[in-house]
Amino acid sequence: MTRRVLGDDPFASPEPETPAEGAARKPRARRSTNPPPAKTAPKSPKPSLPPPAKTAADTAAAPDTAAAPGPDVAGAVRMLEDALERVLAARDTPEAREALGRLSSKLTPGAGALAATQDPQRGGELARDTGDFDVARELFNTSYYLRQWGRVAMRDRFEEVDDFGYDARYEARWRPLFDFLYDRWWRVDVEGIENVPSTGPVALVANHSGALPWDGVMLAAALRKEHPAKRQVRWLAEDFIFHFPFLGAYSNRLGAVRACQENAERLLRSGACVGVFPEGVKGLAKLYAERYRLQRFGRGGHIKLALRTGTPLVPVTIVGAEEASPNVLPSGFLARLLGVPYVPLTPTFPWLGPLGLLPAPSKWTIHFGEPLVLDEPPSAADDEVLVGRLNERLRSTIQGTLDRCVAKRRSIWRG
Amino acid sequence: MREDTPDDSLTRAPIPRRTIALTGADGFLGRNLVGLLEDDDRVGRIVALDVEHPSTAGRKTRFYKVDLTQPAVDARLAEILHAEGVDTLLHMAFLASPTHHGAWAHELESVGTMHVLTACRERPVRKFVLWSQTLLYGASPSNPNFLPESHPLEAATQSRFLRDKVEAEEAVGRFARQLPSTLVTTLRLAPILGPTVNNYVTRYLGRRLVPTLLGFDPLVQFLHEVDALAAFKLAVVRDVPGTYNIVGDGVLPLSTVIRLAGRAALPVPHPLAPGLARALWAAQLSEAPPPFVEYLRWLCVADGSLAARELGFRPAFSTREAVLDYASAQHLRDARLLRPLPPAVPQSAP
Repeated sequence: MTRRVLGDDPFASPEPETPAEGAARKPRARRSTNPPPAKTAPKSPKPSLPPPAKTAADTAAAPDTAAAPGPDVAGAVRMLEDALERVLAARDTPEAREALGRLSSKLTPGAGALAATQDPQRGGELARDTGDFDVARELFNTSYYLRQWGRVAMRDRFEEVDDFGYDARYEARWRPLFDFLYDRWWRVDVEGIENVPSTGPVALVANHSGALPWDGVMLAAALRKEHPAKRQVRWLAEDFIFHFPFLGAYSNRLGAVRACQENAERLLRSGACVGVFPEGVKGLAKLYAERYRLQRFGRGGHIKLALRTGTPLVPVTIVGAEEASPNVLPSGFLARLLGVPYVPLTPTFPWLGPLGLLPAPSKWTIHFGEPLVLDEPPSAADDEVLVGRLNERLRSTIQGTLDRCVAKRRSIWRG
Repeated sequence: MREDTPDDSLTRAPIPRRTIALTGADGFLGRNLVGLLEDDDRVGRIVALDVEHPSTAGRKTRFYKVDLTQPAVDARLAEILHAEGVDTLLHMAFLASPTHHGAWAHELESVGTMHVLTACRERPVRKFVLWSQTLLYGASPSNPNFLPESHPLEAATQSRFLRDKVEAEEAVGRFARQLPSTLVTTLRLAPILGPTVNNYVTRYLGRRLVPTLLGFDPLVQFLHEVDALAAFKLAVVRDVPGTYNIVGDGVLPLSTVIRLAGRAALPVPHPLAPGLARALWAAQLSEAPPPFVEYLRWLCVADGSLAARELGFRPAFSTREAVLDYASAQHLRDARLLRPLPPAVPQSAP
């Protein structure tokens, strides 16, 4: 009996596959030399691209290119079918099963490992048949680990993401943590969620607060849990998070989009619910002493956007996030040293290490105000004076609600 | 093969058979386009211009050995254009992969385009189609997620390989403004992936361990090779002057692409990456020069909606399908069931 090694040519040893070897090689080798247009012909879904009209004269004129591979392919297919039938007839013998497993593991990473899990006895048979040396050789072969890796690597992600990189399966893995923070840790109360329309584009304009921006995540959780249409929020995130390793990649997969006019406009034109924090980094970097005082509202980009796309703006006030992770020390010098916009210096953060990232269990309230529908033509987006005035009106609306909510609150921890 | 009924073809007005010339006819795109155009009865003659004879050439094709790096090539090109009565010129004499022969590449791409345009000024063609790439926008943290055609080509500062192509595209833009009688179509193609194409992207994903940047996972976009050819065919068949992004549908994070290709990523901390890339490039161990590290860090994804509207181009393969189609062929190559892709060699060394 020939020696069997899992890492070798899958067609090398047992009898059932030997005829398939020549058959399998031929069409594949042909495929590599053939130009890909051959592939277009069976697909041809494009009405715009009429398929090459082949007349009888054409094929007759070029018999060497078109007609020659015909009988070759048919013969190869017939040989493959014969081989397959023999394999199917003998599939209950352990040799055939093992050969099949090896074949599939070679062709698709992870499939061999899958076959192993389906057949628990296979491992034992393998060791008996092939000897310890071959098992060891298999374990030292890198392709074995690559196959194992191929099997587990896709477990936390979808094969497809949306246009801006949101991965629903990745978010689902984090959802228990977000739900715990929402329900138990911060006990979020939501007011006026009916002000968010169920369909169509809408921009949620919110105050930004806390050294660690948990408010965006909780805003998304509120819409997901409390809104009748379970709308998904896409946050527009500041540029700087995309400059950091990990932070940008992970928040992108959770649904954050880099804040710029082109991205926001594309999102709103597709009817998305967009979360905007016009204060930007200034809202995050402000000290605890300035809590619940709105900073400058950017340059009014969100107003221009709403004017251009006719999007209603919903003012959102988030109370409680300031106390969850307050900035207690100014970080200007350290931030310049590290080349970042600000460094979170909370009562716990750098001092207790990673444990310090744990936010305080304050009581949160998220208030959705009346939607602000701007009755102006899209051309008004170029009117800087109007944009400034509308921006200030929106800012004072949110500041007023903030003041009211903070005054109403009896305790930071109990609400 | 035929989709339209015989009645349809009878009522259709007879179309004058055109002569199509291709520079870079022995490149991947050129070779396959020659094969495609051979089958198209609207094409009367194909004029293949390259240093090597394309293997797909049939009875319609006439081959001229033309080396665009030679000084007097413009006169010879004009002569050929005149003698053959060329209607449409496809300019595709560009390198698909970066090369170490930078000076030669500059002669071929930047200066070669100048020669081709000079020939077209001397003997005007009706239509001029240019192969360009979305890479020329450059990867940058300030890019929007989908770059429109109006975005400036900012890759020129990053790499010599890309600078030559930017110069070529700018020269073609000037040509289009000076000769409004010539229809100039520029197709900016996303990186091409597919079962048979061989470029630096396929070799990068063909590695057992694929180097990436630790903590960075940009969204990437690919174009299937079949769609790339379909786009050029559309540009030949339809008269739509302008610049178009030709891209596959959808985007994928780079890490997902590597996993779908059945590979493992080798994350490198980004402060070390430029030095490492420089060392690997100098040792001829990497597929692309150091500036390409930027494409592993930042976004460079183009918006293909204009091509869908104006050119009528709809890709048959999404980015994910292109990756899977490439991966299935690559797995066969790994198991030595298919001939492996040859390493990068410039078609004619200086």
